[in-house]
Amino acid sequence: MTQADLTLSNAHPLLTRCVTLKKALSLTLCYVTLRKTLSITAGHVKKTTRTVRAIRLTVCCFGLVLSGLMFGALSHAADIPLYPTGPSADSSFVRFINGTDASLELTAAGSKAKVQLDAKTPNTAFYPVRAKSDIKGQFTQVQNKSDISTSVKAGEFVSVIALVDGAKLKHLTIGEEPEDFNALKVSLAFYNVSTTCANAGLQVVGRDVMLFEKLGVNALTRRLINPVKISVQLRCDGKPTGVPLDLGELIAGERYSVFAVPAASTTRIFIASDAVAR
Amino acid sequence: MAAETLAGIAMLVLGESHLSLPGYLMNPLYEDLTTQGATVHAIGACGATAGDWLKTVEVPCGADRFKGDTVFKGRAATTSPIKELIAKDKPNLVVIILGDTMASYDNESFPRAWAWQGITGLTKEIAATQTPCVWVGPAWGTPGGKYFKNDKRVEFMAGFLEKNVAPCVFIDSLKFSKPGQWATMDGQHFNLAGYQAWSANITKALAALPLVQGLKK
Repeated sequence: MTQADLTLSNAHPLLTRCVTLKKALSLTLCYVTLRKTLSITAGHVKKTTRTVRAIRLTVCCFGLVLSGLMFGALSHAADIPLYPTGPSADSSFVRFINGTDASLELTAAGSKAKVQLDAKTPNTAFYPVRAKSDIKGQFTQVQNKSDISTSVKAGEFVSVIALVDGAKLKHLTIGEEPEDFNALKVSLAFYNVSTTCANAGLQVVGRDVMLFEKLGVNALTRRLINPVKISVQLRCDGKPTGVPLDLGELIAGERYSVFAVPAASTTRIFIASDAVAR
Repeated sequence: MAAETLAGIAMLVLGESHLSLPGYLMNPLYEDLTTQGATVHAIGACGATAGDWLKTVEVPCGADRFKGDTVFKGRAATTSPIKELIAKDKPNLVVIILGDTMASYDNESFPRAWAWQGITGLTKEIAATQTPCVWVGPAWGTPGGKYFKNDKRVEFMAGFLEKNVAPCVFIDSLKFSKPGQWATMDGQHFNLAGYQAWSANITKALAALPLVQGLKK
């Protein structure tokens, strides 16, 4: 999010900031900063819209009334034009996961572009999206389709996970609002979307250490761990399930997710990077 | 004559409004660093956030000081992509002085995801060039003012940066003074004495870093 998000169309940017941030400003500072900039950039102002000229006239008239009172006290504070100290809304992200055993296609509504999600690449990156906007698309697997319609809150990372429901295709949406950002540690999440795996856990292979325990169905949990090379074993209701998974060399500052998804008569796990598309 | 503590180090110093006017941090810091033997290219961009240094973004003011030439810019100021700056200057140390523009002082909730995205985007771009870097966090201001700077949020911002700027080394400016000790004009921008004190402390802290000592020639 940049300053541009605070800019109203057809208005002088500096005035816009004054308007947008009016709760934060004294009218005095708005006036002096704007008046100074308008006079410096007169050439620029002439090229802008009638709206800007009207604004300038209004401000100048207003200034005649107040200038005598203001000048001495404010000339020092107007050195730097006001700028925002953060975005109007936190960032939001959405990604798509293939939690089925076969490859499928992801299509965004209104676009012909398709993304293939298969065993080798089961997930997309987290795409930045505007908070609260409608996100529509479709998972397609042979003749089966699952229409996606969701939205993401400010600060939320949403995962849309395609799953098989009998002979049909469905999807599950799980959102997360992480607070654990840390470049010195590995952030590892565990998603359990397998209805046959109650009290899911991940045990470090060869050690009596549980990374996660007793996670319910259609839920996620996350923790920070040290950057290490480890393998994990899924446990459902305390019993080893499926084959161990090598997580590889986990890198400090990176974020990962392990997904437990339904498989033929069992539950399998795979790891995905939580990288953000840049 | 005392030994120069930063001899032979070519620094690219990037910052926000604090580096964008002559009476602010730009001149004292440039002079302190060069007095200690560093070659400095310092660029300020008012209001620029970490993510703004991944691309070219127009800002309301800025400054560029290199080899003695100083250009203070008005509305023509922009940021530049960090990769381009590093490729052009070939510094052996990048110093980022940034925090106030990302602290959301006027917002009750801190935009963690946005801040993390911008910070890690910038540090990864720097790391990809294999250039060592140092990130200098925000200093105490005076509560209130037009930016709504406040002690609680600036402390949180410094802590957030400390956790998230690696592989850059973090310098905590909050340790340089007590809250409110350096007088400000608007809650956020210091008077010259404050900037001189901040500059002297940054220079001293930089010179004491093992990373920087290893770069000296």
